[in-house]
Amino acid sequence: MRRVQDHLSSTVIHAVLLAWTLLAVFPLVLILINSFKTRKAIFGDALGLPIGKSLSLKGYESVMANSDFPMFFGNSLTVTCVSLFFILLFGAMAAHAVSEYEFKGNTFISLYLIVGIMVPIRLGTVALLDLIVGLGLTNTLTALILVYTAQGLPIAIFIFTEFLRSVSREIKDSARIDGLSEYRIFFEVVLPLVRPVIATVAVFSMIPIWNDLWFPLILSPGEETRTVTLGVQQFIGQYTVKWGSVLAALSVAIMPVLVMYIIFSRQLIRGITTGAVKG
Amino acid sequence: MATLELKSVKKAFGDTTVIQNMELAVEHGELVVFVGPSGCGKSTLLRMIAGLETLTAGEIHIDGQRIDHQPPSNRGIAMVFQSYALYPHKDVRGNLGFSLKHAKVDKSEIDKRVNIAADILGLQDLMGRKPRELSGGQRQRVAIGRAIVREPQVFLFDEPLSNLDAALRVHMRVEILKLHQRLKNTMVYVTHDQVEAMTLADRIVVFRDGSVEQVGTPLELYREPANRFVAGFIGSPAMNFLEAACQSEQVSLGATHLCKRVHADGDVTLGIRPEHLRVDERGQLRGEVQVFEHLGGEAFVHLLLEDGQQLVARLDGEHHMRPGDRCVLGVDPQKCHVFDLAGLRIGNV
Repeated sequence: MRRVQDHLSSTVIHAVLLAWTLLAVFPLVLILINSFKTRKAIFGDALGLPIGKSLSLKGYESVMANSDFPMFFGNSLTVTCVSLFFILLFGAMAAHAVSEYEFKGNTFISLYLIVGIMVPIRLGTVALLDLIVGLGLTNTLTALILVYTAQGLPIAIFIFTEFLRSVSREIKDSARIDGLSEYRIFFEVVLPLVRPVIATVAVFSMIPIWNDLWFPLILSPGEETRTVTLGVQQFIGQYTVKWGSVLAALSVAIMPVLVMYIIFSRQLIRGITTGAVKG
Repeated sequence: MATLELKSVKKAFGDTTVIQNMELAVEHGELVVFVGPSGCGKSTLLRMIAGLETLTAGEIHIDGQRIDHQPPSNRGIAMVFQSYALYPHKDVRGNLGFSLKHAKVDKSEIDKRVNIAADILGLQDLMGRKPRELSGGQRQRVAIGRAIVREPQVFLFDEPLSNLDAALRVHMRVEILKLHQRLKNTMVYVTHDQVEAMTLADRIVVFRDGSVEQVGTPLELYREPANRFVAGFIGSPAMNFLEAACQSEQVSLGATHLCKRVHADGDVTLGIRPEHLRVDERGQLRGEVQVFEHLGGEAFVHLLLEDGQQLVARLDGEHHMRPGDRCVLGVDPQKCHVFDLAGLRIGNV
């Protein structure tokens, strides 16, 4: 009886999960199949597979050959990777400082560091624009990197702090007795212990940066510094929209996120299941 | 080999004093055990010796050199932690050699020292394993090995056996004792387990609320406890404490006269160790058996005395009693301890 019940509940759970997966994957599949179709086929039969007459690689051709798409792609990649590097580095270091050392104002500083979770950074756009103009950084990737680093830090610090508090104090003490400096304790002992968290934070921070349209549009709309999301806009004209190219560009843009997710997913699952993200 | 001296060492967190004016001198090659209930400050003191906590006042000297302002790595100490504190991402060899590698010791020298430590502790077959692939006992051996390779002047152990199961704890206790006999290093060992303290120590320091209650060899502490706290802490099962009265130098329990020539007057506490009681028809203590625990070789009888006080006695395994049985126990007055109301021992008769 019990086994039948277990079996039943597992079937139900899997049915629900499967339904959820279908729901989540459907738009992606739609983009992917339509990116291989002619414009006529996209509008005539959006759900049909790209076979025979409807198959067309024109979208990809125009994306790869007739635009600066590879450059946009490179810009996105640079901005995302560099921002991610700084978010992980500074996030982990700040979290280590507030979780490891007792000093006056510790609580205040940790609250100050994570309060950014509650305040959307877009609210400060005007001030940010002022600042970037003042620094002479308009139309540079540096501007985006700085803003994204600031945007990613609060949540990174929050997640890292939770985890670093759980790192055994005795291991760090043991490293101190072994003569390691505080920096080497951080890099050689603490960081290897929280690898799953690094993956978690990396994925959580990367996706909003990669997908962002707002800041590239405002801070770096120049021809040379466009990111993929902004670059795609060139296919959307006032009178015509090149849907094939838009969908092809989006399909290509999904790839890096997907690859990164696959690389990190094992660590990510471990990170989440050990209680990384509380609410 | 080194001496360790603590001079007026104090530690306070804000207004809370956790160590009060600690004075202690540990001799060359001595194994001193700090023992006391949790929260008594013994681990904090050990961490102060290691350099992981600062001193509020006082000085610490190792081999005559003042070291309390030195960083932990320059103090000539090595510490073994309760949770082993191994580096999870390094294998056994990496863990053992890590401190030397960091200190830029010659590679051949590292190999030599690591191999010596591995031989002493029987770790040779485990050198390539990660800590998670080791059992608790093996991990603790690696942790001890990591201390050995540093060739410290003083070994510090912070409850190293508390995470192990009972059987392994006994085994590792013997291992540590053998290690001490072999290396002849000065060692400071913190535990809350009085059995570990009794079996390992050359001298025991009994802590309570940040101050020392008594320092002495295990047998001194057992035979001549300075006060009721030490008497109750050392020995298992714990010493029985009975309310008694003392009049004209004679201690009596109700109508029963027990010891003579005690220099006290009024109410006192009588301390009797369970193992000093024996079944004796003409004995001084009568009562009713409440619980009888048989351990095979020995048995514990829990007795409710006629005056309502409770008592535990350790008897040899040939006795059999049932709850409700009457029982008369005798005790050698020479082995009774008398404490005044403040808990200080008044002394044997």
